[in-house]
Amino acid sequence: MGRSPTDLVLFVGKRLLMLIPVVFGVMAITFFFTHVAVQNPCVVWYPHAKPATIATCIRTFGLDQPLPVQFYRYLTNLLAGNWGTSPLGVPVLPTLAADVPATLELVLASLALMVLIGIPLGVLAARSNGRLGDHLVRIFYLSGWATPTYLGAVIAAILVAPALGLPSSGEYSSIPPPFPQVTHMSVVDALLAGNLPYTLDAIDHLALPAALLAFINMGIATRVTRSAMLEVLPLDYVKSARMKGLGEFVVLYKHALRNALITTTTVLGVTAGGLLSGTVVIEEVFAWPGIGAYAFNAITESNFPGAIGVVIVFAIGVVVANLIADITYGLLDPKVEWR
Amino acid sequence: MTEPILTVDGLCVDYVVGAGRFRALDDVSFTIEPGRVLGIVGETGCGKSTLAHAIPRLLPEPPARVRKGRVVFQGTDLLPLPRGRLPSIRGTGIGMIFQEPLNSLNPSFRVFEQLAEAVRVRRLRESVPGARGAPVEPGPFDYTRRPLESPAEALSRPIRPGGPVGEALARPAPVSREVRDEVLEYLRLVRINDPETILRLYPHELSGGMRQRIMIAMALSEKPALLIADEPTSALDVTIQAQVLTLMKELIEEVRASILFISHDLGVIAETADDLGVMYAGHLVEVGPVAEVFDRPRHPYTRALLRAAPSRYKSDGPLDTIPGSVPNLSHLPAGCTFHPRCPIARPVCAVDPGPPLAARAPSPGTGRVHASACHFPEEVSGR
Repeated sequence: MGRSPTDLVLFVGKRLLMLIPVVFGVMAITFFFTHVAVQNPCVVWYPHAKPATIATCIRTFGLDQPLPVQFYRYLTNLLAGNWGTSPLGVPVLPTLAADVPATLELVLASLALMVLIGIPLGVLAARSNGRLGDHLVRIFYLSGWATPTYLGAVIAAILVAPALGLPSSGEYSSIPPPFPQVTHMSVVDALLAGNLPYTLDAIDHLALPAALLAFINMGIATRVTRSAMLEVLPLDYVKSARMKGLGEFVVLYKHALRNALITTTTVLGVTAGGLLSGTVVIEEVFAWPGIGAYAFNAITESNFPGAIGVVIVFAIGVVVANLIADITYGLLDPKVEWR
Repeated sequence: MTEPILTVDGLCVDYVVGAGRFRALDDVSFTIEPGRVLGIVGETGCGKSTLAHAIPRLLPEPPARVRKGRVVFQGTDLLPLPRGRLPSIRGTGIGMIFQEPLNSLNPSFRVFEQLAEAVRVRRLRESVPGARGAPVEPGPFDYTRRPLESPAEALSRPIRPGGPVGEALARPAPVSREVRDEVLEYLRLVRINDPETILRLYPHELSGGMRQRIMIAMALSEKPALLIADEPTSALDVTIQAQVLTLMKELIEEVRASILFISHDLGVIAETADDLGVMYAGHLVEVGPVAEVFDRPRHPYTRALLRAAPSRYKSDGPLDTIPGSVPNLSHLPAGCTFHPRCPIARPVCAVDPGPPLAARAPSPGTGRVHASACHFPEEVSGR
């Protein structure tokens, strides 16, 4: 028990160990579902092939083996760093390594917008509880919430993008960019290369999909912040902050919000894990080279290794997002002990 | 007669909940002169806390609504002030100690941060150009020289964007070493033996009595012209209550601040206050010097209250009780609100609320006002 750095390291270590059973479980479930649902993927992959070709395919991929044997093979390969290949022979792991950062960039950018816009809006709503400001904020976040992603994405791409002069497709205006894509995050790569025009270009490309993703998911941050603030504002310590002669800004954003954020952080952590897998449609519409598009294709093409790989990444994403939320929670609330 | 620090004049506060309207304060008037302690007693729900919160405009509006009245603090009526001006009144002008020490410190910040904030606010205001006197550090005991600007001066200054935030940005932060020393000084002032350790703790690591001491230190560190103590000992254990009360008494002696001391405990008031106000159902029914009110109550409610209080002079038999119960604030009886429970009520009491307290002349004995809202004050003190 305690709040020393050692306790924190132990806490993080324990939580990361918990990743092992979670990932194994998720992987096993996805493996058996996919393999049971589609008995003979070779037929799906090569619909017009001769029976001999199909037979070769089945042997090549070991699909004639009993399911547990196939699972054992997949598992040992996975641990050895071989996550399999798509039917066309494209290896899964390098593809994921290139696609995940792009999605992560999109998610982090929209998360930043949710925090920077959604939380102050929640404070504003709580401040004007039941009055005009509260209603305007509610209209704003409810319209985000009520927007179906496909519709919002299409509207953003064909109406908002030209109106604002923003690009609506891809990461850069001209690809490939004249620098190595080290992290596969468009803005970060351009920054690392010290290429300012490309950095701005990358931000332009990121703006619309990130803003849309934030707009759709903003409601949760605003709503939770609002209700947490409404709980905190009547408390005595807010009054005693006021009675120190502090200005309203300090009272709201330092004394009240600091305590309200504890709730918001927890909810945002859960949301962030979900955002990772919630970008499929936006990535499709904005031609964003992320994992969402890859996941969609992997499923429609019966690309089992690809689909399982994506699910593993999502599982890790959810667990890590929750872990980060828990750490932030602990940093915000001095009563939390790392256990 | 000296200019009062605070004049509350005909203050009426309602709580409007749905279609219901509760008269929490009705025509409350009193003054506090510099260096005097006014104690306010009354039963739960009689409007004591509403009064404490209404003065520095802390009431949540809605549901509270100030219907009419004036709260004149150092010559400025606080009620019509725009909200943005209130921070300049609070802290260095009016300080407050709350009832629940468990809730009145922010759970997310260390003791040091919360105290330093108060010290910084005061230092910032002391360094404002045009403030009275030289910004010499007089130490916490010296309340006679207060190089603070008065609210009137604070109000006449042009507003900078963001109020205190703007001020904080506009001038360099006070030397942190001095702030720290001063914070330690105030912790010692409230008899905390190991202030260095306490500074680093969070509120949840402290006992209730400790937290209340820190609240007291926090309020005093701003050297307020008026201190409002809203039942500062009621939420504490009896033993801790005695300690905090002793501390309060000593500090009242030391700092000679003007204090509005609210309590439901007559014994506490008897030990701390100079003057006593008695509240019943949102009305101030009697005001006067403590000894006089205790010896010769001039309102039947005060007399009943005194008889109902446990005392070392009355150890035999059950305590007296007041018949009936406190009226519902949404349906107050007409006339004097106490008449349905009053032993000496006459027909006139059910019609006429009684003389306003403000209209009373000073008593010939002490030169101080001892006023009662009763139609028959002589009859009360005679019995």
